[in-house]
Amino acid sequence: MSLISMEFLIFVFAAVLGYYLIPKRFQWIWLLIFSYIYYASSGAVYILFILYTTLVTYGTGLALNVMENQSGREKKAVKKSKRGILVLALVLDFGMLAVLKYTNFAISNFNMLFHAGIPFRNFLLPLGISFYTFQSVGYVMDVYWRRCEPEKNLFRFALFVSFFPQILQGPIGRYQRLAHQLYEEHSFDFTRIERGLQLVIWGYFKKLVVAETAAIFVAAAFDEYQTYPGIAIFGVLAYTAQLYGDFSGGMDVVIGIASLFGIELDENFKRPFFAVSITDFWHRWHITLGTWMKDYVFYPLSLSRVMNRFGKLCKRVLGRAYGRVVPICLSNIVVFFVVGIWHGAAWKFIVYGLYNGFIIAFSGLMAQNYRKWMKNCHIDGKSKGWKIFQIARTFLLVNISWFFDRADTVPQALSMMKNAVTCFHPEDLLKVHVGTAGTVYTVLALGILAAGCGVIFIVSFLQENGMKIRAMIAAKPWLVRWAVYLILLFSIPMLGQPPDSTGGFIYAQF
Amino acid sequence: MDRLIELLKEIRPDVDYDSCTTLIDDEILDSFAILSIVGELEEEYGVVVTPADIIPENFNSAQALWGMVQRLQAEA
Repeated sequence: MSLISMEFLIFVFAAVLGYYLIPKRFQWIWLLIFSYIYYASSGAVYILFILYTTLVTYGTGLALNVMENQSGREKKAVKKSKRGILVLALVLDFGMLAVLKYTNFAISNFNMLFHAGIPFRNFLLPLGISFYTFQSVGYVMDVYWRRCEPEKNLFRFALFVSFFPQILQGPIGRYQRLAHQLYEEHSFDFTRIERGLQLVIWGYFKKLVVAETAAIFVAAAFDEYQTYPGIAIFGVLAYTAQLYGDFSGGMDVVIGIASLFGIELDENFKRPFFAVSITDFWHRWHITLGTWMKDYVFYPLSLSRVMNRFGKLCKRVLGRAYGRVVPICLSNIVVFFVVGIWHGAAWKFIVYGLYNGFIIAFSGLMAQNYRKWMKNCHIDGKSKGWKIFQIARTFLLVNISWFFDRADTVPQALSMMKNAVTCFHPEDLLKVHVGTAGTVYTVLALGILAAGCGVIFIVSFLQENGMKIRAMIAAKPWLVRWAVYLILLFSIPMLGQPPDSTGGFIYAQF
Repeated sequence: MDRLIELLKEIRPDVDYDSCTTLIDDEILDSFAILSIVGELEEEYGVVVTPADIIPENFNSAQALWGMVQRLQAEA
């Protein structure tokens, strides 16, 4: 059931209505039932996969707790047993994901290297498997580190894994912040509902008006890059609009719907195109994936025995300052390799991840030198001009990375990058077909895209400068308030593109 | 404690460690700085910091860091 469908809106309406009509103590059960109905609607067989992850993770939590509370055992022995359980859980959880998602990638590389003819497998890839697997593994790690107590009730835990608004594309929730909200009793609150609906409408605007319109030009620039080499630069800029509108719009819809049930999900975006560095960008873009990677991959890897030994070696060879940073840079590159492959089973995604990883590692390595150079050149790091330069530089670096993300192959990405700087024919944009009407609506679509991006930019700019837009609108008289909602609402069917033009949300395929 | 502040200043000289109590909450220290601090603490005080210890409560101020070092020394 797509997030952009009448069935989904009816489904949400029924879920919200029942949620506030039934006795409050049954609210979490109601959510669990609706979550499983929602997930089953994408394919009944998928239920088996989510049940597998739920049972493995739930059992691991209990087993870790039993080990922790065993009396009379030595601390070292308990630690060893706990580690064994953790490793088994990670193998079982990630093993499933790896088999389903990466088997064909491994086969294709094996075939290429050894000229073997191993046939590809037709595995099902359950929707949202990356998201709920990561959320579940985060829980296991937190129980292992004793950051939270394990959930004893299997059904309550099943809700934590399957809560329907977030299951397809996140945000990746943390047990300590999310679980208690799911199980608490919630009263109907009109203001909260209104704020939630505001966010849902805004999310649909971003997705249907901006992302779907941008998708038309992205498809022409990338899928027909040999026909339209002169619009490569516009293609990548349009991809920025598409990806941001699609993913952040989807997040607004998800977070808005969750808030209709009184549940506050973690933010996944914080105006990423105002980032002043690639590090800052990843603090603002897909935040819950970034923090997950930091807490569960980056820190454990950086603090591992191997890295500790490597760090000591680096300090001996490179001196104290560089020796301290080099192992951290290496861990960072490994993390972004994982981020890359998380995005998809293809070399282009690995290149995309490593590109980001190397830039951040290089920045970390040079941080002290930058500070010195800026001081010597009398550059005020807090000046507006410097900040604008940093934002523009980051925007450029991010756009370069999109070539790898969107192109079909690495050679295509490199060819398009070359076109972006050597071949400039903006007039070719007018040759792009919109829908079935040829080029009749092309200028209109370009205008809508530019206007939509303008609206998003203004809202983001105001928010970046501390203005709380939603609170500001909510404080206006009802006539003004509802005029804003209705303009936004009616702009969606009037200016937006049908969602089937790109086939749903991009990140739901992960 | 003075030695700790000296070590912290080596990593990020621009931060006022005497008064700041929101080093993590306000994103003053990034993950590079956090791990650099951990490396220095391990070397200087002979403690072993695990991923479980990397939480805002332990890193939000110099005082909190000092508390963590003392706790880890006592547990060793």
